[in-house]
Amino acid sequence: MKIAVCVKQVPDSETRINLAAPAAKLDQTGFTRVLNPYDAYAVEEAVRIKEARGGEITAITVGPETVKETLKKDCLAVGCDKAIIINDPALAGADEAAIAEVLAAALKQGGYDLILFGIKAIDDDSGQIGILVAEKLGLPHVATITKLELGEGTLTAHREIEGGKEIVDCPLPAVLTCQKGLNEPRLPSLPNIMKAGMKPMQVVTCADLGLTPPASLVEIRQYSPPPARGTCRLVTGDDAAAAARELARVLNEEAKVI
Amino acid sequence: MANIAVFIEQRDGAFKKVAWQMISQARKLADASGGEVWGVLLGGDPAAAAALAGKHGAHRLFAAGDQLERYDSERYGTALAAFCRTQKPDLVLIGATALGRDLGPTAAAKLGCACISDAIALKFEGGAWEVRRPIYAGKCFVDVVPKTAPAIVGIRPNAFVAQDGGGAAAAVTAFDAGQAQVTPRAIVREIVGSDGGRVELTEADIVVSGGRGIKGPENYVLIEELAAALNAAAGASRAVVDAGWVDYSHQVGQTGKTVGPNLYIACGISGAIQHLAGMSSSKCIVAINKDPAAPIFKVADFGVVGDLFEVLPALTKAVKEIRG
Repeated sequence: MKIAVCVKQVPDSETRINLAAPAAKLDQTGFTRVLNPYDAYAVEEAVRIKEARGGEITAITVGPETVKETLKKDCLAVGCDKAIIINDPALAGADEAAIAEVLAAALKQGGYDLILFGIKAIDDDSGQIGILVAEKLGLPHVATITKLELGEGTLTAHREIEGGKEIVDCPLPAVLTCQKGLNEPRLPSLPNIMKAGMKPMQVVTCADLGLTPPASLVEIRQYSPPPARGTCRLVTGDDAAAAARELARVLNEEAKVI
Repeated sequence: MANIAVFIEQRDGAFKKVAWQMISQARKLADASGGEVWGVLLGGDPAAAAALAGKHGAHRLFAAGDQLERYDSERYGTALAAFCRTQKPDLVLIGATALGRDLGPTAAAKLGCACISDAIALKFEGGAWEVRRPIYAGKCFVDVVPKTAPAIVGIRPNAFVAQDGGGAAAAVTAFDAGQAQVTPRAIVREIVGSDGGRVELTEADIVVSGGRGIKGPENYVLIEELAAALNAAAGASRAVVDAGWVDYSHQVGQTGKTVGPNLYIACGISGAIQHLAGMSSSKCIVAINKDPAAPIFKVADFGVVGDLFEVLPALTKAVKEIRG
């Protein structure tokens, strides 16, 4: 089985964004970059499928040279077989539609049976890429999956919805986006990180994929800091129960939220 | 003239209230820009939708029902794309629900149009739509301008207030949703409810969440009791979910659900950035925590420094008295 896992390197969630006023650009120097946490579920699921049924896993990403470390440690060292990096300066600032176009072009060349994504990246939080890619490839997709069973040429996935789940049957090839709950991603061991350095990592440009760098369909006007919240008003009482009663009164009579 | 189409989500005939929030906001924008507001209904009861859509400010309702009773991305994506091709709205608003997050990009790819996820504000300025959305776990907002018409914009539930303008029922027009051309491949075999009757986190007006401070799974009942008294949804921090005390479907935060209720009560939650990512757009935040230095107090509007095992039962009792 040929599996592709599309991943993204993102600033870790502790990253501080220093913005005092609206700005046209975001200063990203000094960000610590890691594998997008949702993509780790996709990588883990691919590795489990390979362990159970055999096959080959290709990790694919769009990004600069710096993604190599993340690919090596968090994809190749935990079981992916090779990596493709699409690195093209024309893609700096590209939107979801453009990135999806480029990924679709790379995926088309691989003939994959299964294409896995994380549900969203924790930096831009948009959650579109997997679905856009599926549409561009003309493949069915199941998004936000929390359980996967593979049959012969088919799959059954559980998809999270409000208050429950959908159980979806789908033929292969297909695109899936992976949600927390699907599995517990493993950590790479040091020897495997060392060995991962030997696995093939191919760097390509849009031209290599036979593609003119696609145009973005949205334009970023500005970044701004979130509005400052007021100071916290501490509600007190003679004891905890009195404080609780006072809180209920304040929420009811002053804030009018209950 | 800028016409705004609002997707009215229904499941088993019940409408998601984010539709009325979006229609109310769309009406304000349309009045300012000289356009109309259209509801788009797939499946469900057009008469019921038209009455509610009209009441909240929609001028017209476009409805298609053929094979659209239950969501699947292929049929719904085709239907929404068909609607956009024939009616040519400038903007399409879809609630950022489980369904909406799937439908938006599906239809956008079919149309080759821009799709912007999980917006919290929207304006028409300088001849263009400007969409505001939080990124980097809410640590930053970005204003984005779509370069296509239509543009599809996902709207976070509770970002806008539903306003009952008392309008007459919207005029209903049936449209051809192109279903004759669709043979869906991904088929929903079954829908399983995990927790019948529970108030849904992402659309709740009030959310009560518990963190590590609840000390064990047996104490989550304190969160559930307060939630029940407030007709609220019960949430949890990642620590509680990772410890296996409650199911991950309750998790609020970066790797869980994003919520924006009128009132968020964080109990025994320290306020890690990953948690704030999921709840910092809540209108009023209450923190109950033993540790006065907990970061949650930095984002809270009201706080009680105290032991949640004493505060929560008393608060539940007081709420029951207030709400009768």
